[in-house]
Amino acid sequence: MKKLILASMLTLCSSAVFAEVAVIVNPANTNTVSQDDIKKIYLGKSKSFADGTKITPVNQNANAIADEFNDKLVGKSSSQLNAYWSKLVFTGKGTPPNKLDNDQAVIDFVATNADAIGYIDSAKASDKVKVVGKY
Amino acid sequence: MKKLSVAVAICCALATSNASAEVRINGFASIVGGKSLDNNQPIYGYDDDISFKNESVFALQLTADLQEKLTATAQIVARGENDFDADFEWAYLTYEFTDELQLSAGKMRVPFYRYSDFLDVGYTYRWVRPPQSVYNLPFSTYEGLSLFHTTQLGDWDSTLQVIYGSFDDNIAVVSVNGDTELNDIAGLNWTLSYDWFSARAAYFIAETTIDIENDTAEGMALNGLEQALRNSGFVDQANSIAIDEDDGAFLALGFSIDYNNILFDAEYTQFEVDNSALAKQTQYYTSLGYRMDEWLVHLTYENNDDKHDSNRYDALTAVPELNLGINTVLEGSKAKSNVYTIGARYDFHPMAALKVDFSRLEDDITNTETDVVAVGVDLVF
Repeated sequence: MKKLILASMLTLCSSAVFAEVAVIVNPANTNTVSQDDIKKIYLGKSKSFADGTKITPVNQNANAIADEFNDKLVGKSSSQLNAYWSKLVFTGKGTPPNKLDNDQAVIDFVATNADAIGYIDSAKASDKVKVVGKY
Repeated sequence: MKKLSVAVAICCALATSNASAEVRINGFASIVGGKSLDNNQPIYGYDDDISFKNESVFALQLTADLQEKLTATAQIVARGENDFDADFEWAYLTYEFTDELQLSAGKMRVPFYRYSDFLDVGYTYRWVRPPQSVYNLPFSTYEGLSLFHTTQLGDWDSTLQVIYGSFDDNIAVVSVNGDTELNDIAGLNWTLSYDWFSARAAYFIAETTIDIENDTAEGMALNGLEQALRNSGFVDQANSIAIDEDDGAFLALGFSIDYNNILFDAEYTQFEVDNSALAKQTQYYTSLGYRMDEWLVHLTYENNDDKHDSNRYDALTAVPELNLGINTVLEGSKAKSNVYTIGARYDFHPMAALKVDFSRLEDDITNTETDVVAVGVDLVF
């Protein structure tokens, strides 16, 4: 019995910790976006899609999916990321992506902005947006 | 006070002048308390009474996106050491030609060191203060132009900055004060980075003039000697003491590593004003850090060595008194010291860090040791 509880707790924990992240763009966007591209976009190193369109990336506001995304795709903790962006912001060399509150807000934003890119819990993906990668 | 109200007025103007311009406000602050652990040996602005003012800083930045590709940025900084008088330390316009190329004009910072651009933003580095043996030039801003170019060379990121401008203010230089004018400041700052590794080189030149004031014993001695040489007809020797339109040159080399949880930084700098009483300065530091989740511990060693070339001595053996004067001035500008620092940083909040540093300064000229401890909170918002 104990083992079963432990096992189910572990399953619960792992599903909470290892949510799959889906990176999404507007359905009209035909560019391919690699994992490396995503990292560069979210570090402010890439500012345009392959076809030359200016990118408008959006972040999520300090929630579990943001932590997951930062860890898996950007490779930095939220403190390290804050320090990274502070260096750019206070020297006029960059502006961090705007933060939205949850998956739904990101879906709505990406669905209405042709140049947008965002990320959500992959379970929430809908046909209003196009998934360019799951991580 | 007047300065503050002017600052507030300009901010209000910036914030309301154009309803269509998007204005962003960011800020940062450091509240640092520290003290020297030795009686009568002040260090980094601390004496043996605890001060929460000396190294504390509070700053706001306003950025206005005026229109496509043009932004105006102002940074207002209030420093405890200046009684928290608010000052515009950065105020510039930036035009973005392409994703890779931007030009800024106005009041900005000279990128002498790796951490120069965000020197006041304590949150971006691990120490309470960057290694002072290296980060020791008494001025940091200039008025002029900065061209900034970023590009990707395979897996490497290259950022090249070229600056041109001038500086004019009263500053403390080593042990004397003086009205300082730097003209034709020109130079470049190049950083090449690959994921966990980055290397940097910077070189600047400036025509340097410092009108030394008679408000310190050293200042009076210097001016007295220069005058005596000039009065006696030794114009060349007088000119070699005066800091008057002399060529100043600054070189910096450095690299840094952030691999897994290991951090390593090293910077070497060299600064010289030709044909002047200022000694040639050579400094470096190496710093090792280890990150454990929210914690970071670090160890830093700094070295400073300022001296004149030996061929500058005995420049006037024909007149022993003046010769002795020259030698004394040259000898007086010598400096030799080491600093050891051990410290820790704790990221207790996503936007704030707590830090504690303990440093020991060994002065090889005066044969003294001075310990200083400081605890601070750095935040960005």
